[in-house]
Amino acid sequence: MRVGVSNKNLDWHGVKVGDALPPMVIDLTATRIVAGAIATRDFMPVHHDRSYANSQGAPDIFMNILSDTGYASRFLTDWAGPGAMLKKLAIRLGIPAFPGQTLSYTGRVTATKETADSGIVELEFKVTSELGDHLSGTAVLDLPLTRSHA
Amino acid sequence: MPSATRPELASHPPVHESSKDEATRFRATLAGLVGQPVGPAGGSVGPDPVNQAMIRHWVAAFEDRNPVYTDSQVAAASRFGGIVAPPLMLQTWLMATPKITGIAERGGSPVESDGSGPLAVFDEAGFTGTLASNSEFEIERYLHLGETISATTLIESISDEKQTRIGRGYFVTWVTTYLDEALAVVGRQRFRILKFKPGGAVA
Repeated sequence: MRVGVSNKNLDWHGVKVGDALPPMVIDLTATRIVAGAIATRDFMPVHHDRSYANSQGAPDIFMNILSDTGYASRFLTDWAGPGAMLKKLAIRLGIPAFPGQTLSYTGRVTATKETADSGIVELEFKVTSELGDHLSGTAVLDLPLTRSHA
Repeated sequence: MPSATRPELASHPPVHESSKDEATRFRATLAGLVGQPVGPAGGSVGPDPVNQAMIRHWVAAFEDRNPVYTDSQVAAASRFGGIVAPPLMLQTWLMATPKITGIAERGGSPVESDGSGPLAVFDEAGFTGTLASNSEFEIERYLHLGETISATTLIESISDEKQTRIGRGYFVTWVTTYLDEALAVVGRQRFRILKFKPGGAVA
């Protein structure tokens, strides 16, 4: 766990194309998958019932897409800080995420631009596990232009 | 997500005339679904307003320590002026309150349907499995505590039949528009699922 990151605002002026986000690692357990599914009010049995998941051709329960977008937004704002506003996020799922896997989040800045009152940052990111690519995505964040403007 | 490959009719040996007619009819049925609403006519309304309890549950699940979601003092001093919901909870506010009894028998559908929903044609044709593949959000603004959110959802497109890792199926894309109480758009979401015939392997 990274301590303190989420209270510090990133200043848009210091962000450069190619900057890498601090990696995030999630050790996936059945508890994490079920907690995410229920917190997002997704009661599809493939996300909490192993025998049901087996009946659908899956070896175990797997993470729901609402949890994927949840973890992705945490990954981005852990880096950008509480003054950032998420404007866009798009993800495409690859190999499902099962208990026992380690999910590794990596991302980089692909573009920056300044508007009248905000600094825009575009990013791409991906999540890999022992099985390969779990998902890929892109995002747009709106960062405060000065540190005093959290 | 399973990778998309060739449509069935292009990749299979010639089929008997009657099953070809059947496939053509099914394809026409699917074409008629594009532009149709998903869910209740007139859209759906979040069963509860944006609230701290559900936000706290959500941020605990993902261990998201962003203080603007739970710390009223930090949030008040931020650009948001007060506690805001995590932006991607947008979809969560509109999730149906599930009827747990019988949910597996309904293929995971949270509520009993009268079988007339636009996606029922897939289940009737044996494409009973559902797997999400893409989710794309555009956020206009963050939501504050007490706001009630509604949404309308329209089917945008349906793919040809595809062979995927987990079986044959169709990718269905819909677009949801999320509205506040003044009917101003607070966000949009494009969501794609695969409706498939279970039998293959997921990984």
